[in-house]
Amino acid sequence: MNTIIIDGLSFALPLFIMAIGGIYCERSGITNLAIEGLQGFGAFCGALFAVCIAQYFAGNSPIPFYLAMLFAFLGGMLFSLLHAMLCIKFKANQVISGVVINILAMALTEFMTKQINASIFGAASNKFVLGVSARLTVPGLSRIPVLGAVFTNLYPFEIVIAVIAVIAWYVLYKTRFGLHLRACGDNPHAVDAAGIEVSRVRLVAVMASGALSGLGGICFAYSISANFSSNIYSGYGYLAIAALIFGNWKIMPTLGACLLFGFARSGGYELVKVLEMPSSYQDLVMVLPYVLTLLMLIFFSKKNHSPKALGEIYDKGAR
Amino acid sequence: MKKNNKNILHKLILQTIGHEKRQQYMIPIFTIVLSLIFGLIVIALLGSNPFKAYYNLLQGSGLAPKASYAGHKGIITDFTSFLNALTPMLFAALAVLIALKAGLFNIGVSGQMLAAGFTATILIGYSDLPAVVAKPLTVLIGFIVGALAGALVGWLKHRFNINEVVSTIMFNYIFQYVISFLINTFYVDPVSRQSKNVGAAGRLTLVDVVIGDYKMDIPLGILLAAVGIAVTAFLLNKTILGFEIKAVGSSIRAAEYAGIRVGRTRVLAMMLSGGFAGLAGVTYYMGYFASIQPKVLVSTGYDAIAVALLGNSSPIGIIFSSFLITVISKGSTYMNSASGVQAEIASAITGIILLFSACGAYVRYKVDRWKDEQKQTGRLASDGRATK
Repeated sequence: MNTIIIDGLSFALPLFIMAIGGIYCERSGITNLAIEGLQGFGAFCGALFAVCIAQYFAGNSPIPFYLAMLFAFLGGMLFSLLHAMLCIKFKANQVISGVVINILAMALTEFMTKQINASIFGAASNKFVLGVSARLTVPGLSRIPVLGAVFTNLYPFEIVIAVIAVIAWYVLYKTRFGLHLRACGDNPHAVDAAGIEVSRVRLVAVMASGALSGLGGICFAYSISANFSSNIYSGYGYLAIAALIFGNWKIMPTLGACLLFGFARSGGYELVKVLEMPSSYQDLVMVLPYVLTLLMLIFFSKKNHSPKALGEIYDKGAR
Repeated sequence: MKKNNKNILHKLILQTIGHEKRQQYMIPIFTIVLSLIFGLIVIALLGSNPFKAYYNLLQGSGLAPKASYAGHKGIITDFTSFLNALTPMLFAALAVLIALKAGLFNIGVSGQMLAAGFTATILIGYSDLPAVVAKPLTVLIGFIVGALAGALVGWLKHRFNINEVVSTIMFNYIFQYVISFLINTFYVDPVSRQSKNVGAAGRLTLVDVVIGDYKMDIPLGILLAAVGIAVTAFLLNKTILGFEIKAVGSSIRAAEYAGIRVGRTRVLAMMLSGGFAGLAGVTYYMGYFASIQPKVLVSTGYDAIAVALLGNSSPIGIIFSSFLITVISKGSTYMNSASGVQAEIASAITGIILLFSACGAYVRYKVDRWKDEQKQTGRLASDGRATK
């Protein structure tokens, strides 16, 4: 039971932070299918930086990890500018732009990983080895029955994510900027009439999405895969999109969806272990989150309401 | 003076891609040239000779002679092998194209390929049917399985309003893991860690055919692909269904108003799209290759998006664009061994092509604006002369 909660949380929270980024982007009216690529590129930047500075720190020092998080944050933000440029400035189809960003990120990071490994580190390898970040247990709280597992064996990034999530919630729902952002997604003309530049608000939203996606990506790289390789592109970004659709583009319900994904996944693994099935059955468990996504979309897509101006190119002249 | 320079630049661009009829192919060519220049710079920065690297791409695809060949090999065997790789790409591009025409985005081509290829492998590839029966059955099963997978996506979109991008990707992963499980449990070859090889009877490529002094692989599917392109062009331009698909793709409201049943058209378009993806699957897994690697989704489905966008989503256009993309991806292995440039640069260049293609609409818009501006300044100038 405890492992289900611990592993489930460490999967759900990075997903959650990417979904929050997606919510920011989509609530401002820009469809964001690029999360997958943004998280991969962010993770690449973070991992690259961590590998470069690793020699200056002791093996168990947590500092490279925090710096990697910072650089993943910045890297994702940088790459998201491409999406912003295509969608806002070039008025390209937002769905196509998202897919282009994903494919480009995959191709570029794979190429650069191999090239950098070959020319700087002199090794023929297609991944940056990172290791798993250290875990910590909150004394006291962890001794509460059942719920205590939430505070046991935490990855440090889970705390960072929790803090950022609270800030993101506050900004989106309680500040003037958040109000503008949400209005941009529903009625951009009203925002424009109020004297606020729609494209600027949207730019910030896309950048926030990129930054948070990058953060989510590096968390996966430091926990599940323990390295950066093309394995990072296993659909986490799309799971985040499904979670935010399921969560009706609101932050709290989205958290619920992410937790459901996380617990379904860790529960499935636990089941394979308990029933002592051969390891190839793990492939079937891996399917669980994806099947769940489809089922949830079937039940909730009709009822949910996307932001009204989602995916529409803002045209000042069209009133 | 600065403004003057800008005007000259505008004029230059207008002269090359300004003409509306020529825009169709001038913009893709612009895109390709820009992307190749990008590749050129990157390869040069990495310290290799970019022109040699590009020539290696042609050599690897059997379009230029290599320095030396192994026994029974020659430029012609490289070329048939290139056609072998081109076949699934053509089908995959058709799949993306038909969906795109209906305003849908099928990025599940890779998954549909896998599902169709796997089903055909276990039903026909492992059976003892004679070649005359097996080959048509392979094609048929490939098409049906793909079409069903595609239709399901279309139906989910129509009935439950599920974004096809998300659902196709979910299906990609579901197919990938379930089929990997099935292969590892029932059909694995213990040596290669892939599925057991299919029999020659059902395979859509004739392997090691001796012609003259050469042993070559002859892809039968390329003929089928040619037929597929012709059928698609006919369907889109000359039939009612084709018109309905294009109408739905241009504007759902207008289509609805004209009495077109949008849901039905979308499901049909996705079905056709999936069917072509299925054909890509059988020509890939039971033609170009003879086995399936578990847990791997081929990149063909994603490259096909670049091909379709670059080919201006026209059936004729994709012949050229898939040719180019296949040269880049197929030749990259040889380029790696001959010039030492990482083979992954191929997909990076493809990605850049895709990026520039996505800007195509903006370029068109900008060029039209400049044209209007020039007309206006031209008119002003002539007006000025008239008053004098």
